[in-house]
Amino acid sequence: MKKFYRCHVCNDIHYGVKPPEICPTCSAKNAYVETNSDEAIKICSYTTKSINKQEFLKAIEALSENKEFQVNPDKEKVSMLIEGIFQNEKNHGLKYCPCRLSSKDPKKDLMLVCPCRFFIHETYKNKPDGECWCGLFIRRKENG
Amino acid sequence: MAKLIMFHGRECPHCKVMMPLVDKLEKETGLSIEKLEVWHNEKNADLMRSYRDIIEPKCGGQLRTPTFFNTENQDVICGEMEYEKLKEWASG
Repeated sequence: MKKFYRCHVCNDIHYGVKPPEICPTCSAKNAYVETNSDEAIKICSYTTKSINKQEFLKAIEALSENKEFQVNPDKEKVSMLIEGIFQNEKNHGLKYCPCRLSSKDPKKDLMLVCPCRFFIHETYKNKPDGECWCGLFIRRKENG
Repeated sequence: MAKLIMFHGRECPHCKVMMPLVDKLEKETGLSIEKLEVWHNEKNADLMRSYRDIIEPKCGGQLRTPTFFNTENQDVICGEMEYEKLKEWASG
């Protein structure tokens, strides 16, 4: 079961089954202590800088680098999708996929946050021309 | 309530692709398909969620857009598709 962990040296927050051995922010070893979601959210809210659409695009391009998938080269489609992702964040709190509907179960809906775990989806898995549900990510073309 | 419903998202590119096909189908067949946007209209979203048990098993376990739902025979198809497939669903 995933839990929140806090680095007691620098307040880095980790959400997962177990925390990293070495804190990626301050390099302290074995420094994470389990915490609750209220504290974790409060610590994260100290970071007031929000990511804009251009920065999000850069982030998902960086994520795709040297991977078997890439950001869809169809710029018009990507622009529409990112607009939807940001509309969903504004209206519903998180960057939900604009091509699926939230269930209102917060835990279940975490699976809809972009980028999602699309490798397991029927639209991507074992498909030479696979793509994520919405088409923001596609399987990398040989010349791509 | 309408017999034929298209659940769609305003920023969903698959929905954008399907819209002209839905318009063509309505003109050709005289059928009416109610278009319900689900990310900016909570009432429409709740209606789609109320059909979750019927829609999800036929759409990869998800509530996807676009989803085409026939309230009479509960036939469901989702995603982008050829015009003929859409027509077949609508003629259900």
